[in-house]
Amino acid sequence: MRERKKSSAVEVSSVKKKKEKKTKDNNEPREQKEKEESQSIMKQQKNTTSRSKKEKQRKTTEDYESLRESELSGDEVHGTDRDVDNADDHHEEDQTDGSEGHRGVEESDSSEDEVAPRNTIGDVPLEWYKDEKHIGYDISGKKITKKERQDKLASFLANVDDSKSWRKIYDEYNDEEVELTKEEIRLVQRLLKGKAPHTDFDQYADYVDWFKYDDALHPLSNAPEPKRRFIPSKWESKKVVQYVRAIRKGLIKFDEPKEEEPKFYLLWGDDSSAAEKAKHLAYIPAPKPKLPGHEESYNPSLEYIPTQEELNSYQLMYEEDRPKFIPRRFTSLRSVPAYENAVKDSFERCMDLYLCPRVRKKRVNIDPETLKPKLPSRKDLKPYPVACYLEYKGHKGAVVSISTEASGQWFASGSTDGTVRIWEVESGRCLRVLEIGEAIQYVAWNPLPELPVLAVSVGQDVLILNTGLGNEEEQRRVKDLLHVETPTAPDDNMASIVSWLQHDKLDGIRLRHFKMVSSVEWHRRGDYLSTVMPAGESRAIFMHQLSKKLSHRIPFKLHGLPVSSVFHPTRSIFFVSTKKNIRVYDLLKQRLIKKLETGLKEVSSIAIHPAGDNLIVGSREGKLCWFDMDLSSKPYRVLKCHPKDITNVAFHRSYPLFASCSDDCTAYVFHGMVYSDLNQNPLIVPLEILRGHTSSNGRGVMDCKFHPRQPWLFTAGADSVIRLYCH
Amino acid sequence: MDMNIETPEDQNEENSRRVQVRFKTKLKPPQKVPSNSIAIPSNLTRFGLSSVVNNLLQAVNPEWKSEPFDFLINGELVRMSLEQFLLAKGISAEKVLEIEYIKAVAPQKEEEPSLHDDWVSAVDGSNPGFILTGCYDNLGRVWKAGGVCTHILEGHCGAVSSVNIIKSDGLKYVTVATASKDQTLRLWKVCSGSWDCTISLWRTNDSDAAGNQVSIKKRKGNNQVEEPQLEGEAISTLVGHTQCVSSVVWPQQETIYSASWDHSVRTWDVEMGKDLSDIFCGKALNCIDIGGEGSALIAAGGSDPILRIWDPRKPGTSAPVFQFSSHNSWISACKWHNKSWFHLISASYDGKVMLWDLRTAWPLSVIDSHKDKVLCADWWRGDSVISGGVDSKLCVSSGVSIQ
Repeated sequence: MRERKKSSAVEVSSVKKKKEKKTKDNNEPREQKEKEESQSIMKQQKNTTSRSKKEKQRKTTEDYESLRESELSGDEVHGTDRDVDNADDHHEEDQTDGSEGHRGVEESDSSEDEVAPRNTIGDVPLEWYKDEKHIGYDISGKKITKKERQDKLASFLANVDDSKSWRKIYDEYNDEEVELTKEEIRLVQRLLKGKAPHTDFDQYADYVDWFKYDDALHPLSNAPEPKRRFIPSKWESKKVVQYVRAIRKGLIKFDEPKEEEPKFYLLWGDDSSAAEKAKHLAYIPAPKPKLPGHEESYNPSLEYIPTQEELNSYQLMYEEDRPKFIPRRFTSLRSVPAYENAVKDSFERCMDLYLCPRVRKKRVNIDPETLKPKLPSRKDLKPYPVACYLEYKGHKGAVVSISTEASGQWFASGSTDGTVRIWEVESGRCLRVLEIGEAIQYVAWNPLPELPVLAVSVGQDVLILNTGLGNEEEQRRVKDLLHVETPTAPDDNMASIVSWLQHDKLDGIRLRHFKMVSSVEWHRRGDYLSTVMPAGESRAIFMHQLSKKLSHRIPFKLHGLPVSSVFHPTRSIFFVSTKKNIRVYDLLKQRLIKKLETGLKEVSSIAIHPAGDNLIVGSREGKLCWFDMDLSSKPYRVLKCHPKDITNVAFHRSYPLFASCSDDCTAYVFHGMVYSDLNQNPLIVPLEILRGHTSSNGRGVMDCKFHPRQPWLFTAGADSVIRLYCH
Repeated sequence: MDMNIETPEDQNEENSRRVQVRFKTKLKPPQKVPSNSIAIPSNLTRFGLSSVVNNLLQAVNPEWKSEPFDFLINGELVRMSLEQFLLAKGISAEKVLEIEYIKAVAPQKEEEPSLHDDWVSAVDGSNPGFILTGCYDNLGRVWKAGGVCTHILEGHCGAVSSVNIIKSDGLKYVTVATASKDQTLRLWKVCSGSWDCTISLWRTNDSDAAGNQVSIKKRKGNNQVEEPQLEGEAISTLVGHTQCVSSVVWPQQETIYSASWDHSVRTWDVEMGKDLSDIFCGKALNCIDIGGEGSALIAAGGSDPILRIWDPRKPGTSAPVFQFSSHNSWISACKWHNKSWFHLISASYDGKVMLWDLRTAWPLSVIDSHKDKVLCADWWRGDSVISGGVDSKLCVSSGVSIQ
């Protein structure tokens, strides 16, 4: 018993088994052992030994039937002569074997010759039936009674006698002895060697490539679709949950759904736009013929029917302008005559369709408002002169010229009535009247505040007069300065042109020229002054030095009639304007620097910006040109604002203002900002139109000057009034 | 006890709304009405209210001669109908309305203008005994009330631009100062602004060295003998303005206020000679005066028709507290009444002198006696307005009753 157990324990180790097999024929115990081994293996491979089993089964069923009969006849047949201890032992053994056998049943997979086991208790421990007389139930529910145990000694002796005993196995589960056939033994032996159980099975057969992939049309596998293809994927659902959470958190954002425009075919629309959409080459479809309206109806409303007068008027029209179709009324459609132009119209339409050349016109789609320059608001550009609060009255004739004193306390005005008046700005009082006796052309106040001297051009003379203002010391200096010795005539040639004389009546200097002097301009230092004689030809412009009482002709050739001259406010540069152009001269190097082409018909006046890089020019045709000297010799801006001649233009000394006055009795005030940044062009904004003067003899405002310190503008009118416009 | 007073307007508008009012006043008893509340129609204007008060006064005193009154509600003068006023100010008409009445401030009569030979450029009426005027004919004149010129002050060789009565020592000795356009201060003035953008302080009182008392060319009121002139040097010069100083006032010992064409009003510390504060207004200023409440308000007029009043005590702002804009042209002069907190006059180049009360935005009265620009104006004797202008007249409008 113990041996059997031991052998069953080591049955797994194959090496040992092999050794045992080699020596199995030699001795009994070996044979015994081998028998037991084969028994255990047989239990594992029970199904492979099906044939022998079948036979046995047949036999056993017969046995059982007989047994059943005996059981039915008498219950307690076997139990009386049964050894309890033996039975116990057997049962123990049964249990272990049974569990093994049970495993063997499970592992069986060949079903072709499977015979159902006699016992039907199923996979329960056989131990449960240890104390019972039966070992289980057969298929019909009858109890299978245990066989009577053989005496051990007797069975041993029987085994010894029986030469086939080594191939007999006791099947504990079914409680029977099974005799293995020769094939089964062979099979077991093959298994023990680790080979395939059947001899005709070649475990290592050569690989035959049944499938050629080269020209296969059909799928390799004809296998049905696997189930996983039909059930929702777990991974996908996890991913979906992930997305849902991300959407809820706002991590994933969707684009706004595009609003699709409804796609309609515009039946009566122009085809040209549709052609653009369809990206053909430049195909331009012919325009559609006009659709018939009410007037083409056979019975149009009365308002469509032209009256006889209208019909007559059609006759007077040109053939081309005449309406093509004249509506008429008919009582019914039947009475409508044939359309006589039908062939002609359709012919023309056909001609139009394929012969008419068509060109697509490019039209620039620009809002004209955007082309206007963006100008700052006038409110932000304050202060500038707005309203007239003071009038200076006293002149009897048109006031031709005005000039302000440097401090802005007084100003002087010259008139055609032959007087120069000096006014107090603040109160409007005329402080002094200087009777010259001849119509004044121009007045210019000396730019030095401590030298209250006035230059007045009258006819062929330039008078340098003492205004009598200022304190006593200043007066003394002025009197010294304005004293001229008797002319010594150092240069006869010069003396015939310009002579310095003492003006006795008015206590000043009289500079006699050979032609009419139109304008006088002081240099900023107050010592030099330039005079312009338009008729003087080559000797038209002179420079006079007051301290030395000397005169020079400027060494430049002028091309054209000089109109006006002005000194550069900071540098030794001199501007001379002729009727068309402006020439810029360097007085130190004595050469021409620049020539500015105004493009105007006749220049009337020029003024220079206090920084010296910008120049405004007024013309007799009412145009105002702004020159930026850094930009080009052409005007930076041309402002056409006055309907009549511009008589004068002026810059303010400190505020970014400039003004122009004209014979249309108005003065315009502009904002003219010049930036120190060279990249920024000057900003010009029209601000105000100052009215108030009245026209007299066709002349309006003759002169305008800014107050040197306040944003105020003086205007001198032909109506003999001077007005002060304040902010 | 309620009384209903029938007034002419009241009869016309019988069914108009009525307001319960009580008149009160600070005037003396003959002008005091009983302090009962009465119901008056709400469409009454100042004239109606005035006649109500006069009727009430007549009821008490049959010999009462009616007199114009002005009316204050919550410190503001009534310049429209009572109903409109209450609506505009959001005052409830349910309660008894307290109306304070004061004598109407308006010139009662025009006196004969005193004719000069040339434009009247300056006027001073700080002495009740006479008026001092400066004229463009280089003369200063002293006038007695009735258009009688008592004295002519000669000496300047330029037009007199400013005059000032410095001090009156009793009745006999009066010190006057005049400034002229010949760039001299002929009779000494305290401080002077000039076209050279500076303010100069002068002191030539060699007899009184202690002196804040300024002044100093003495001139006896009775004769015209001039004492020898003193050529003085300015003791200090206040520099800061960038353009001509058009007007200066020295209301207290330590501060000088100046207005300039550089658009600023500056306050100067006399001792330090420093600029304390400046107010910018955007327009060139012609005149300045200090007065009003606590003698602290600055009134200034300039090269536009707006009279501006600043309160320098208000921190952090340089915006004017009042702006009066009824003139049509530059304002040439402005003067506070020396007693009243509310009244000031302004003269303008449009030929008008206007009398203002701070409590209303409309002028109290417009004196239109000049035909041309008014160059100067001042108060005289506390109840008259004197003004001089381009038409060479000195006009006196008297009977301005300011309590």
